[in-house]
Amino acid sequence: MRNLLNFLARYNSLIIFLILEGIALYLLSSGNSYHNTRIVKATRGFAYRFEQIVSSTRNYLYLKQVNQTLAMKNAVLQNQMENIVKSRDSLFFLVDDTIHFQKYIHTSAQIVNNTVNRQKNFFTVNKGRNHGLAVDMAVVSDDGVAGIIVACSQNFSVAMSLLNVDFRLSARIRSNGYFGSLAWDGANYRFAVLSEIPQHVTFGIGDTIETTGYSAVFPEGVMIGTIADYEKSGGDFYRIRVLLKTDFKKLHYLDVIGDLTRNERLELEQQFQ
Amino acid sequence: MINNFLRYSIIFVLLILLQVLLFNNIQFSGYVNPYVYLMFILILPVEIQSWLLLLISFLTGFLIDLFSGTPGMHSSATVLAGFIRPFILRIKSPRDGYEAGSNPSMFMYGFRWFLGYSIPIVFIHHFALFYLEVFRFTDFFNTLLRVLLSSLFTITFILLLEFIRKGR
Repeated sequence: MRNLLNFLARYNSLIIFLILEGIALYLLSSGNSYHNTRIVKATRGFAYRFEQIVSSTRNYLYLKQVNQTLAMKNAVLQNQMENIVKSRDSLFFLVDDTIHFQKYIHTSAQIVNNTVNRQKNFFTVNKGRNHGLAVDMAVVSDDGVAGIIVACSQNFSVAMSLLNVDFRLSARIRSNGYFGSLAWDGANYRFAVLSEIPQHVTFGIGDTIETTGYSAVFPEGVMIGTIADYEKSGGDFYRIRVLLKTDFKKLHYLDVIGDLTRNERLELEQQFQ
Repeated sequence: MINNFLRYSIIFVLLILLQVLLFNNIQFSGYVNPYVYLMFILILPVEIQSWLLLLISFLTGFLIDLFSGTPGMHSSATVLAGFIRPFILRIKSPRDGYEAGSNPSMFMYGFRWFLGYSIPIVFIHHFALFYLEVFRFTDFFNTLLRVLLSSLFTITFILLLEFIRKGR
């Protein structure tokens, strides 16, 4: 007993160090996984209110730019509306069935917390389950792909940013339709890497990269970025560096897109797997 | 004693606010993320009990974690920094020992001493932090570059703050 006490007294700082380090590493290992609501728990509450103040100040400073993009978007939407009204004149459709033709549902949201300087970046948006958001919905900025919702609380959602080394996205070259897998390599926040494009495909620098509809998360044809440069890698594939269209440092207003037919599609697909 | 406690509390709050409001938002090309809050661990009194130092380190790291949504990452790195601080202090101790009740400041022990004391602690802290964040050894040298650049900036800012503190 005496020896034990001596031992404890002698190595007390080492023991406390090991205990505290153990707690920290436990928090680290249990808190950083992919679909984990602990991130939401951590951002809620006190720290959360604080971030809101910061982000509202920041949003205020960007109001001018936001106005411009909103006006542009408005114009585009108005044009689309014209088209729809015209085409409906010549077709039969059921008046009271509002979602029959609708595949995607859009919700606009604001970003309240965002990082780009980590390896696993997440951002928080100010809408949650109460506003119809759910896990696995796509998040798109005015420019292009931004992320995927990974956790929802009542009023907030956390999305995995495209700038996350765990993020995978099915993407294709718009000009010829060949598709591959897009991921971030963790280096520069402006660039991602598109792999699995075979070497017989021809494309040029500056070609557009867009999403495919294969993942049942993102709608087809959402812009991701343009080809910055490419190199041959290992086997028979190209490794293409993609300049992202979305600038994650000035992300403010987002569009969350839910696929209304997603469950139906996944159920059908599951029968054959 | 009370006076000292109050002074450190104010510095603590100021450093945390500075880190969360200002330095967490510096995202210069993804390579430079200064973590200036570490300065608090550096300037605690020389004679502080090691268990108290470790507890304060943990608390500091935990608060930063809470604000940046990274459970455990800053805590573990800062506890490590708090653990190695006594060793660095022993290595760097002046010929006639530390003055009673002093804190390791540039004002007290000179610029070169302070630099030699803060560089290893900041470097080890950043090393632990960045590798815990990446959690793999692919792109080893890329991460090392981030560690070095960020350490450089952290030390620069700590020196600047130390000059301001000296001015009081």
